[in-house]
Amino acid sequence: MLPHRSRTAVLVFLLPPLLLYGIAVLVPIVQSLVLSFFSWDGITAMEFVGLDNYVRMLTRDDIFWTAFVNSLGYLAICLILQLGGALVVASLLIGLRRGRELVKTLYLLPAVISTVAIAFLFQRMYALEPVGLFNQALAAIGLDGLQRAWLSDVGTVLAAVSIPEGWRFTGLYMLIIYAALIAVPAELEEAARLDGASRWQLFTKIRFPYIRPVWITTTIMATTYALRGFDIPYLLTNGGPGQASELVTTYMYKTAFSHTDYGYASTISVFIVIECLVAVGLIIMLLRRRADA
Amino acid sequence: MNRIRGAAFAATTAAALLLAGCSGGGPGETDPTNVNPEGEIEAREISWLLSRPADGGVITTIEQIAADYAAEHPGFSLNLISTPDRPSYIQRLETLAAANELPELFDIDATPFAATLAEQGRMMDAEALLTDLGLYEDYRPAALNYQRFDDGSLHMIPFEFQVELFWYNTALLDGAGVQVPETLDDFPQLCRGLREAGITPIALDGQDQWPLERYMAYYPFRTSGNDFVRDLKRGEAQLDSEDGRAAVEWMASLGEAECFGEGFSSTGYADAQAAFTSGRAAVYNIGTWELANLATENLNAEVRDDVDYFTLPSTPGAVTGADEYVSPSGIGMAVNAATYDPLVRDFLAFALERYPALYAETGALSPTTTVETTIPDNATELYERAVAEADSVGELSAMPWDTQLDPTSNSRLQQELTLLVQGEITPEEFIATMDTTIAEHGTAAFE
Repeated sequence: MLPHRSRTAVLVFLLPPLLLYGIAVLVPIVQSLVLSFFSWDGITAMEFVGLDNYVRMLTRDDIFWTAFVNSLGYLAICLILQLGGALVVASLLIGLRRGRELVKTLYLLPAVISTVAIAFLFQRMYALEPVGLFNQALAAIGLDGLQRAWLSDVGTVLAAVSIPEGWRFTGLYMLIIYAALIAVPAELEEAARLDGASRWQLFTKIRFPYIRPVWITTTIMATTYALRGFDIPYLLTNGGPGQASELVTTYMYKTAFSHTDYGYASTISVFIVIECLVAVGLIIMLLRRRADA
Repeated sequence: MNRIRGAAFAATTAAALLLAGCSGGGPGETDPTNVNPEGEIEAREISWLLSRPADGGVITTIEQIAADYAAEHPGFSLNLISTPDRPSYIQRLETLAAANELPELFDIDATPFAATLAEQGRMMDAEALLTDLGLYEDYRPAALNYQRFDDGSLHMIPFEFQVELFWYNTALLDGAGVQVPETLDDFPQLCRGLREAGITPIALDGQDQWPLERYMAYYPFRTSGNDFVRDLKRGEAQLDSEDGRAAVEWMASLGEAECFGEGFSSTGYADAQAAFTSGRAAVYNIGTWELANLATENLNAEVRDDVDYFTLPSTPGAVTGADEYVSPSGIGMAVNAATYDPLVRDFLAFALERYPALYAETGALSPTTTVETTIPDNATELYERAVAEADSVGELSAMPWDTQLDPTSNSRLQQELTLLVQGEITPEEFIATMDTTIAEHGTAAFE
């Protein structure tokens, strides 16, 4: 129990950031929630439509559902690349005796390159005319038949816009997981080795359980970032061809700022908030349940 | 858990903040027809929100005129705020309109959004203004018509005039043994011939989507003028009709004949133009704003002597003339009624009188008939021909569909068109999707 003066001091110091948080985060979310019950183009009077925007989103809007499925695909590819890739690289890195800093820096480099530059870079690399790096590489190994315009093919475009996002942040998550892995007590691993544990057993029984709290945090970060993924897909394809790479976020943005349908865009943004909360809840539940098992 | 919630909330903050910024809006306080308000001219800074290239002829000419006006009116300055990328510009404009923060002058197309602003009395009556300034009769009818709303009212002033032509490489066509198409129905055959010769038939900037949408407008314009799109956008006509089906099937036939470069949907403006100017593509549909790159010595010497153009081919039983096709006067400039005062009027009188002659000197086509375009010293013979073509164009201009449809239907049309031409969907699926979309959104937008 804090003495009265200390409690006052805590309140004085906590209040400004709480107010700032409320103004910057909570108020806009509440405002979006309110707007989602209206039809509004920004220049004429708002019209109350009740739940019609939600009914439209859930029952009449095929693009929304396409975008939602695409977002799940985008999330899966990003998580595999970011978390899977980061875990593999971090695990290999702790076995490296020399040049660790150089490898870490090289992997981290994409995270500091501007989004627009990354989008232009990949646009060139995926191109068929003029022939980009990917298609040149395929030709060089005799796989000319696989050459294609990766961003124009509805079968490949979603993966094509997800890969740059995954590649970009693999280094960042690798660094976090690497920091957790080197904190695993050496004597624990040594004891396991003496007991005859294999490399795989060492990883699954010692290392991974030890880094689980960090893994949960990293998974939540990667998931929420991927669910709000916007810039690279928007810059690379603007959701196309058709709706093949449309994400819920890019669709929300277009609905607000291209279609000037602010009420409906708010409905989609409310969905994104709920989607993020559900995703985070599921991750915590699954990982905790597994830890308890 | 609080941290977790914080992370989740942070994921949506940007979007929510953007949405939160949109508020206000309302009609202007000035009578949009009161083009000659009483009062003293008080010099101050005025702003013009533009969507034009920063180094283009319009901006350089206006800067020169504004400097001359400032010399006579100390304290005056013109703040030009340019966002050349059109989608970004439109988003900026619409957000400012929603916040009731539009500047004195702003660029806008004759879209449903602009029509709403005009209905609210937020844009000055451009016809009344030009008439009052004694300049109305100077303008090309086609240039003014392009800026008009469906009811014939005029709220935007044009600053340029263009014609959109089909540029083609004569050597590539001759080599493939194919002819310039006489009708739109000849296009698929032209494409097949060129493909057989290993040549990309048509260079297309698919990334920006409007170039493909132009093709969608061609067939209905020939069969019914602009009436079809004007009825279609309101849901009073359907694509499931003779005119609509002919247009959709023609687009599908272009896709089947592989008219556009492979991967066209991710090809940008510069890459499409490079495909034509490097001799890899045979045909390129673009306006006279590219004359400096297509009809001067700036053009690649290897193809320079082989480049020619043809205008929009006709169709059997066409109701529009051969001299009528897309002849836009570009994005127009609207005058904000809420900030209109004697200074704005005086500056516009000064600028609009001097603009045509100075603009024509840059080698561009003026929206007026009062001046002659200066042909640059490095121009090829095509330059003068294209200018003459523009001077003899008919009064009816094919309206680009992206300026006609409501934004939601327009977005969907652009997306579905790409799929149709890529062969991902059938003409029937395209027609069903678009008719449903327009019935829901178009009807509501034009109530």
